[in-house]
This record gives sequence, structure tokens and C-alpha cells, in this order.
Amino acid sequence: MELIKLVNALPGAVAQGLIWGLMAIGVYITFRILDVADLTVDGSLATGGAVAAMLITSGYSVWVALLAAFVVGLLAGLLTGCFHTLMGIPAILAGILTQLGLYSINLRIMGGKANTAISANKFYLLVSLRNVRSWAIQNPIFVLILFTAVVVLLLYWFFGTELGSSLRATGANQKMARAQGINTNHNILLGLMLSNGLVALSGALLAQYQGFADVNMGRGAIVIGLAAVIIGEVVFGKLFRNFAMKLVAVTIGAIVYYLVIQVVLWLGLDANDLKLLTALVVGIFLGVPYWKNQILSRTKGSKGGPRNAEN
Amino acid sequence: MLKIDQIYKTFNPGTITEKVALQGVSLDLKEGDFVTVIGGNGAGKSTMLNAVAGVFPVDQGHIMIGGADVTRLPEHKRAKYLGRVFQDPMTGTAATMNIEENMALAFRRGKPRGLRWGITASERDQYREHLKSLGLGLEDRMASKVGLLSGGQRQALTLLMATLQAPKLLLLDEHTAALDPKTAAKVLEITQKIVDEQHLTAMMVTHNMKDAIAIGNRLIMMNEGKIVVDVSGEEKSKLTRRDLMGLFEKAAGKELDGDRLLLS
Amino acid sequence: MKKTLALVLCLMMVALCGLASATTVGVIQLVQHPALDAATQGFIDALKEEIPDVEVDSQNASGDSATCAQIANTFVSNDVDLILGNATPALQAAVAATADIPILGTSITDYASALSIDGIGQGTATGINVSGTTDLAPLDGQADIITELFPEAKTVGLLYCSAEPNSVYQIETIRGFLEAKGLETKDFAFADSNDVASVTQSAVGAVDVLYIPTDNTAASVTETIAGVVIPGNLPVIAGEEGIAQGCGVATLTISYYDLGVATGKQAAKILKGEVNVSELAIEAAPNFTKKYNAANAEALGITIPDGYEVIE
Repeated sequence: MELIKLVNALPGAVAQGLIWGLMAIGVYITFRILDVADLTVDGSLATGGAVAAMLITSGYSVWVALLAAFVVGLLAGLLTGCFHTLMGIPAILAGILTQLGLYSINLRIMGGKANTAISANKFYLLVSLRNVRSWAIQNPIFVLILFTAVVVLLLYWFFGTELGSSLRATGANQKMARAQGINTNHNILLGLMLSNGLVALSGALLAQYQGFADVNMGRGAIVIGLAAVIIGEVVFGKLFRNFAMKLVAVTIGAIVYYLVIQVVLWLGLDANDLKLLTALVVGIFLGVPYWKNQILSRTKGSKGGPRNAEN
Repeated sequence: MLKIDQIYKTFNPGTITEKVALQGVSLDLKEGDFVTVIGGNGAGKSTMLNAVAGVFPVDQGHIMIGGADVTRLPEHKRAKYLGRVFQDPMTGTAATMNIEENMALAFRRGKPRGLRWGITASERDQYREHLKSLGLGLEDRMASKVGLLSGGQRQALTLLMATLQAPKLLLLDEHTAALDPKTAAKVLEITQKIVDEQHLTAMMVTHNMKDAIAIGNRLIMMNEGKIVVDVSGEEKSKLTRRDLMGLFEKAAGKELDGDRLLLS
Repeated sequence: MKKTLALVLCLMMVALCGLASATTVGVIQLVQHPALDAATQGFIDALKEEIPDVEVDSQNASGDSATCAQIANTFVSNDVDLILGNATPALQAAVAATADIPILGTSITDYASALSIDGIGQGTATGINVSGTTDLAPLDGQADIITELFPEAKTVGLLYCSAEPNSVYQIETIRGFLEAKGLETKDFAFADSNDVASVTQSAVGAVDVLYIPTDNTAASVTETIAGVVIPGNLPVIAGEEGIAQGCGVATLTISYYDLGVATGKQAAKILKGEVNVSELAIEAAPNFTKKYNAANAEALGITIPDGYEVIE
């Protein structure tokens, strides 16, 4: 229980948080911008890891592996999007279907094995748990901060473009978007693709970081992503107004999540209870805005009628 | 400008919630026509407007806008011909985006959306001028989220957005119904002003008989999915509420229903 | 602000002083599971007997591979003297975390694929900072049980989860032994626990004996399998005791506790400096026991020869 033990372990938690932060940004795109709860991510995270693991162990460079993972993630999102927009399946169910299907696909990708090792002894890896305490350029924390910065800037640019704005409008108000000539179905597809591409990218980094890809590595990922989004909003919601900063808040949310887990492990809490704890925390934070509304509308009602006196 | 030819629409056919909404509606609007549409609840006014907007496909018939057959076009493709303002002030704008972003979205209606920046500095100046003309002080709040605006402000903004790119046809679906009388009058005044300035062709559904008579150069009344009264020009300008009720009774063979309509 | 800082510094000082110089060992266990629990327990017991003042920090990742990485990071950052990875992802996370601290694996079936080093396994050293014990029961011995109990059998069904690399590996190995004995083999693979009943049903009548390897998915659904094979009069030989107890007739089994003990002894040797981990050969379980399931044997009318213990 010595504090120094906790302090020593923090860099690792930060690195892991940064990796999951990318994944959480993907969740942010669907959950907050597109207003769709996409459960594909549990599958596409493992897909990204599987693709990267297979390519790296076949001798391809990590950059090829990361790019391929991103592209395969895009395809996973496309599949969910097609289920949803072409076949009219509700988004949640469409995501669950893809996630289930991806389990088999992930096994296929890894040649029928549930687990593929990527040894840091044999391959050059962009990020590895091994370097997390070294004061060198290959420290995953530096690499990941750089990586996250690039992703955030690219997304900031994209969501500022005409296409990106139309995607935000699709999430904000589909009826309005269509009335303005926006093809909302295409945008939902695009958003789901982008999101799962990022999630798969995060999976590819995670596989390198932990030294293996595993078909079960994405289990519960959506909840971790949501937790990061919500922690980011609760902690920095008032502070960060700018879109890029909101994405940064999501990343910090993921880091905070892993720091909390680290503390929980340090306190000696049973890891078996972690999932319950996460579910409870996420549930409560998701519920807070609803309760706030309930209380607000009650006090408003007593003052007499909704407020539209501004004009 | 708009030609509706014998359109039919039945919702949920073959189920217990089956509803025959449009039964052979035909209408021909000339360029510059401003037609008001009235009728009781469930008469098919909004359904006709939504059929034109492409919210759902019609079962039969054709819809032409400015000479183009749009019957098979999806909603977002018809948008390039249409400006739309809805009954619910929440519907016409994106609440989580700010005023200028909403206008920039509307400014690109009917144009391809690519990877150019979503709003330019020169547009911004243009929007400021437009907002100033509303006289609501919105020109100073261009970076505010639309969700912070009142219902009237949102409807005025939606009107502006609908006409930023001059539409071939402006569709107004009871767009003042959710507003208090004073605000409604103001929004109506803005509507009239924009339509006059841009010489727009417009179709306005309303439940207010007085407005229906006072505004526009043509009036149609619907009942049970059909157009039962159609007056225009000289005849419309002399129309009174009593005349209108008489016309309706003659055409529909019954008294005009809907207290809502009579009281207003 | 200054006060808080001072407080934190004080706490850190206290923490530093609290650090004992005793030997510390970190245990990463993938998930709570009777076999893995027994291996961890055996490891700790054997280690404490050899080095009484050793401190063991045992952590469970509750089945989450990302948590394995986090636990491994904690151990490495605290500079423990040795890490035990109990089950494959736990071992892999430890290997990803350090190239210096000695790592032992236990409950690992196939080291070659877990570490992606070709040609390593029981009796060989890895050449890196990893060694350990394998839970691979001798598959030739299991093939012998099949012919000993069912001399008349011609075809043997192989029931396993295709998603488990350990199972696929065992199936390929035992297939060689069975075919060498002139037996025909037939695969019955399922993708997850939901398919087990129907896949098992298809084996009934198609084969004379069914073999199930050490397979985690099968181990979790033995009741389902029993519900098909007992009425279908199809005897099952299992790769481990848990499966035999649930739905099997007999098994040649290892004790995970003993496996843990063997690993603990390896750890003691490394910590005492008697051997370098990179030169320490991977060991198999020290002894095997033939066991049988009395109730199922009776239900299927199978006479068990001498030399078998009853599964309690």
C-alpha cells in the first residue's frame, strides 16, 4: 500500500489512458456528435489489434499495420452503417450484430487463434509497455501525446469543413439536416466509419503496448469509452468550449479513468469488481443530466409556464 | 412553379391504424403565387406539404417543381428547390450549433459539401446583414448556440435560413402556431417581407382564418384529403370569414368543423 | 498549496521508508478459476517454503487483458524481483512490460505460440527472461487411455472450441497419436458455448468415443455436454479433471496445485541466484494420475480396470 508504488505505476496508467483516449474520441464521434450509441466498438477494437498483430508479426512496418487497422475499422463501421441505414435496423442492434460477427472475423484474421503475441524482442513497436518509464523518444507517453495531437487537429479540421459541419448537423437534428439538403444516411455511415476507424487504430496501438492481440480485448470497451467521454465532460465541460479542447477533454477523461483504476488496484480492491464499479460510475454520470432536467423543470413549473419571453 | 397532379397517400395501409391522408390532390402554382392553406384537423394540409417536401413517397400521382419531376427524389435531394419552416421551432435549426453555423449549413443547400472550410469570413458579413434586417439583435449573437434562442427567434432564423438561397418554393407549415400572438404577428410580418422582397413562390399552412384571408393572393381549403375550396385574385381579396364558411359548406356538404379554426 | 505539497512529500517519504528490502514477487492471474487459483496457491506455498520472507503481491485481472497490462506495469514500475504470469495473456503482458525482470509462466499450454518463439516447449529454455511450467498433459498418455478403455473403438471424435489456440494445438497433437494406433478421427469444433449442444449432438452415433482436450469453453459447459452424451451413450475421455468430472468417463490429469509448486521451486532457484531464467528449461507437471468418473462409467456400463482413481 506504499504511496511510492502508486506513483511509480502512474506513467503506465497515463500511457494506457492515452491509447484508450483515441478509442474514446471514436466513441465521442458517434455518441455525442452523431447521437448514436454504437456498440460495434467492442468488436472493432479487437479487429484493429488483430490486424496490427498479424501484419507486424508478418514483418510489415508498424505504420502499415496502423493504417491497415484504421482501414479495416472503417469497414467495420461501414457494415454497421449499412445495417442501420439500408436495412433499417436500430443503431444499437446494428452495432451488436456487427460486433458479434466481428468475433468470428477476428478469429479468422488471427488464423483461428484467439491470441497472437507481438514480441517487443523481435519487432519494432511504436509503443511498448517496456519503455513507459524511459526518458527517451520511444517512451509511449511522448509518442501517444503526439499521435493524439495529430488526430485531434485532423478531426478539428474535418468537423470544421462543409462536410464535417453537415455531419454535426445530422447528429443535432436530422429533420433540419435533410431540409438543408444533407444526405443524413451518408453522414451516419461516414460518422460510424470514422469512429470505428479510430477505435481500430486504438486497438492496434493497444496490441503493441500490451504485447499481444486477443479476441476478447475489446470486451466492455464501449463502457470505458463512455466513461472517458463522461469524465471529460464532467471535469472540463465548463472549461473547454472549443471543439478541439472537447476532444482533449475526452482523452484526459480516459487518462483519469485509468488513473482511478490504478488507484483501485493499489488499494487492493478485487479486480473482479472493477466492471461493476465502472458500470455504476458511468450509469450515475449518464443519469445526472436527466435528474438535473427533472429538478429544473419542476422549479420552472412553479414559476408558471415555460420561458419564451425573450421575444 | 409547383404542379401537383392527382397525388394519393394512405398511411399504414392494411393495418388498424390505416389513415387515408390524401385523395387525389391537384394544384398548380404560378411563379410568385403566395397561397394559404386552411382546413380542419386531419384535412391533409401538412401531409400535402410533406408530400411536396419528400418526407414520404406518395402512393400515386406526380409532383413537379419548376418543371422538374421530383416525385421519386428523396427528401434531401428535393431540398435544393425548397425552403422549409416547420410548426415546431425546434425542428428548423440545429440547437447545438451556433447561429452562423446554422446559416452556413443553409447557405450550402443544394450545393455539394466538400472539404472546404464550413464558413468563410465574407459569408459571415453577409449573414450579419441578413440578421440585422430581422431587427431582433441576433447579429450580435452569431456565435451563440441556437438552443439558447426563444421560439420566435428560432422561427425568424429558420425563415432566413430557408430563403438564404432563394428557393423555388417556400413551404411554411403552421410556422406561427407554436408562438404567442405578439411573436406570431412579428414572424408573419417578417415572412411577408421576405417573400415580397425576393418575389418568392410560397405555400403557407395556417389554422388562423384571418391570416389566411389577409395574406397571399390565393387561398385553398382542404377537407378529408381533398382541396374543396380554391379562390384567388380579386375574389380572394374581397373574401370574408362568413364567405369562406359558406364556400366550405357548399363544397363539403357539411358545416366547417374544428373549433380551433373558427375561434381564431 | 504549499501545505498540500509538503503533505504529499511527507507521505512519499513515509512511503519510501516503508519499502522493505525483502524479495518481492508479483503474480498476475488472468481470471478467477479453480485451476488457476490452485496454480497460484501452489506457487506461493512452494516459494514461501524455500524463501520464508518473500513478499508476494497477487493480482487478478478478472479476465480483462488490458488489466493484465496495467498490473504488469505496476509490478515493473515497483521493480519486483520476479513476475509470475498465470495463463497466456498474463504472461504476454509481463513479457511486454519488461525484458529484464525474470518472468515465469504457469497454466500455459503452448509456449511457442504464446511467446512467438518457434521450437520452444517442455524441456527447452527460451533464451530470454522467461521460463515456467506447461499444463500440457501428455497427450500420448491420453491416447493410451482411449485404447485401454475402449479396445473396440474405431473412430474417435474430437470436440473442442476452435477459438482456443491451446485446444487446436492439443487436437493436432493427439490426432497424430490416435492415427498411429490405427484409429480414425473426426473433428467436432464449436465457435462458442452457444453451439456446444448441437455440435455435440452431431457426434452422437457418428463416433465410438469422444475426446475433449483441456479447453476452457468446454470446461464451462460440461453440464450441456453431459446432457447430450450420457443419453446418447457416447463415452467421453477428457484432457483434464474438471471436464471428466462434469461429463467424462476418464482422464489423465495433472494437478494445477502441483504445477504451481513446480513453478514456485523454479522461482526460488532464480531468486537465490542458482540459475539464470534464460537458461532454465520449461517444465511439465511433475506427475499424472489416471482418474475416472464413477457415476458416468456406471451409467454407460463401462468397466474401469485397476490403476484408476475415482474423481472425488
